[in-house]
Amino acid sequence: MSHVSEIALVEAVIRWLYENAETNGSVKAEITPDTDLIATGVLTSRGIIELLLFIENRTGCRIDLTDVEPSEFSVVGSLCRLALRDQDGVYQYVDNR
Amino acid sequence: MRSDSQETDLIAGFYRSAKRFPSRVALVVGDQHLTYLDLQLLAGRIASAVFKYEQGSFPLAAILAHRSVIAYAAILGILAAGKGYVPLNAKFPIERTRKMLQFSGCEMLVVGKECFHLLPKLLPLMDRHLTLILPEASDVALLSSAFPMHRFVSYGDTDPPHSPFVSDVSPTDIAYLLFTSGSTGDPKGVPISHSNVVSYVQYACNRYAVNPYDRFSQVFDLTFDLSIHDMFVCWQQGACLFCLPESVVKAPAKFIRDHQLTMWFSVPSLIGILAKMRLLQPGCFSSLRYSLFCGEPLSSAYASVWQDAAPNSIVENLYGPTETTIAISHYRWDRVTSPRECWNGIVPIGWMFEGQICCVADSEHKSVSNDHCGELWLCGSQVANGYWNDSEKTRERFLRRTDDGDRLWYRTGDLVRRDDTGCLHFLGRVDDQVKICGYRIELQEVEAVMRKACASEQVASVVWPPSNDGAQGLVTFVSGLETLDENRALAYCRDRLPDYMVPRRVVLIDDMPVNANGKIDKTGLVRLLQAGEK
Repeated sequence: MSHVSEIALVEAVIRWLYENAETNGSVKAEITPDTDLIATGVLTSRGIIELLLFIENRTGCRIDLTDVEPSEFSVVGSLCRLALRDQDGVYQYVDNR
Repeated sequence: MRSDSQETDLIAGFYRSAKRFPSRVALVVGDQHLTYLDLQLLAGRIASAVFKYEQGSFPLAAILAHRSVIAYAAILGILAAGKGYVPLNAKFPIERTRKMLQFSGCEMLVVGKECFHLLPKLLPLMDRHLTLILPEASDVALLSSAFPMHRFVSYGDTDPPHSPFVSDVSPTDIAYLLFTSGSTGDPKGVPISHSNVVSYVQYACNRYAVNPYDRFSQVFDLTFDLSIHDMFVCWQQGACLFCLPESVVKAPAKFIRDHQLTMWFSVPSLIGILAKMRLLQPGCFSSLRYSLFCGEPLSSAYASVWQDAAPNSIVENLYGPTETTIAISHYRWDRVTSPRECWNGIVPIGWMFEGQICCVADSEHKSVSNDHCGELWLCGSQVANGYWNDSEKTRERFLRRTDDGDRLWYRTGDLVRRDDTGCLHFLGRVDDQVKICGYRIELQEVEAVMRKACASEQVASVVWPPSNDGAQGLVTFVSGLETLDENRALAYCRDRLPDYMVPRRVVLIDDMPVNANGKIDKTGLVRLLQAGEK
């Protein structure tokens, strides 16, 4: 599993969103790293779950949302940072061995 | 006007709690904590404005506010002024809001500042004079000059009341008017009387032994009648109501823990979302005393996983159409015995609330014996008298049964079966009504809008994709056209229907599949979607 940079992950997520966003017609606006995916209707909560799985596959890390405010994990940029925070944790653990 | 109240109107319990616990917190919205006294004063200010500026004696006033202190104060204020409230929804398209306002007949509207931006879109559509109370506006000169047909009341125009502001209401007066999906393409108004809802609130307070230390969730939008349980069961006993911010509603796990909630009430599909986000760990909601679910079928798998997450909580499945006031039957989950009482993996809707009556009837309105499938009919103090200004639909749904004398029954359209123990099991619908995330949708209403959107009479909607934990969305099929502009059709729907009613896709087909009776074969349409998936 290669180390994923934040910029690359954000780009991949935005690409994924354009391809997979809910198609009830609400997704025509531009998606940026600051887009709140739930507030703007880009994704329903089910869509968020699919997005989490996509990011986890991409980074190879499990994202722990237990102590995260929903307003944080529903925004593209901060969700990617969360994922990479967990990725960094994994790499640090591997390095220490 | 009088200064106290008997327990026959919805607001009486709030006033009693405000008298007993003036300094206890009644409402938390974001970082705002309002005591019972704070909320009573704010509600009184709105009540006095409603009273002062009303032109006639119309029994209803509307509210356009969303998850804000003013939203709750307006409900209490309108009730205190002796009127029933009509909640509008800032998330609905303006056209639907206009229709709800128009159909309700309201001439008075209380608006929270989070909805001020909607006024320039809504007001030009109104063809009658409105009085708008804007409790957070200091200056309404601009609005007054832009919309001279309407009157605007600012904070400065409202007076603080000297004592709790309560008007005389009769038990049969309307406490609230809600709109549900209607098959003709327009929303359908359900007026609930004070006596209907007081009956519910008193029963729920006793059943759940609500106390002043309880901390209630408030998940539902105010246009969903389950919100009335949250507010008034809570305030009846001096407990505290926690409004979930919009950003938290979809994933409230941290909120439940942070605020140590004791009473939870939501639709079951939220359990699935939290579970998939891995936010339902065993024991994670240890503060909850009660977990109530209503609005759509509750699967045994969901009940079980929630019970593990909230081990100190009693889990109940509630059932009830808007027409019978919030909920009218219940089933208490037991981790040992319940799994074998579930049919097809769905938790029973259980037994009627004490004092409410049901009948499982055949197509001739006669009751069927246990273990036979039939339509559920409901009767009792929680059952409304009919629809708002719609005698035709009232005659269809509110009836007297031939073998039952003069009692008025509501035909739910829900198919149920009663087992040998008397426990009711929900089996489905007799008509085209579906539920998506707890929202009631008449497919005919979606189809009526879609016919106009596509300029074709040949339109049919189906639930898609199928899911074990409730419907996720709709797909509409259209035929009889050479070409279809799907985006344009969807945009037309978005302007007229709430998000949850807007189909995910519109599919153009050459001919509608039909069954032996010549009716559109919706199973055939679902098969088309399944084939497309492969």
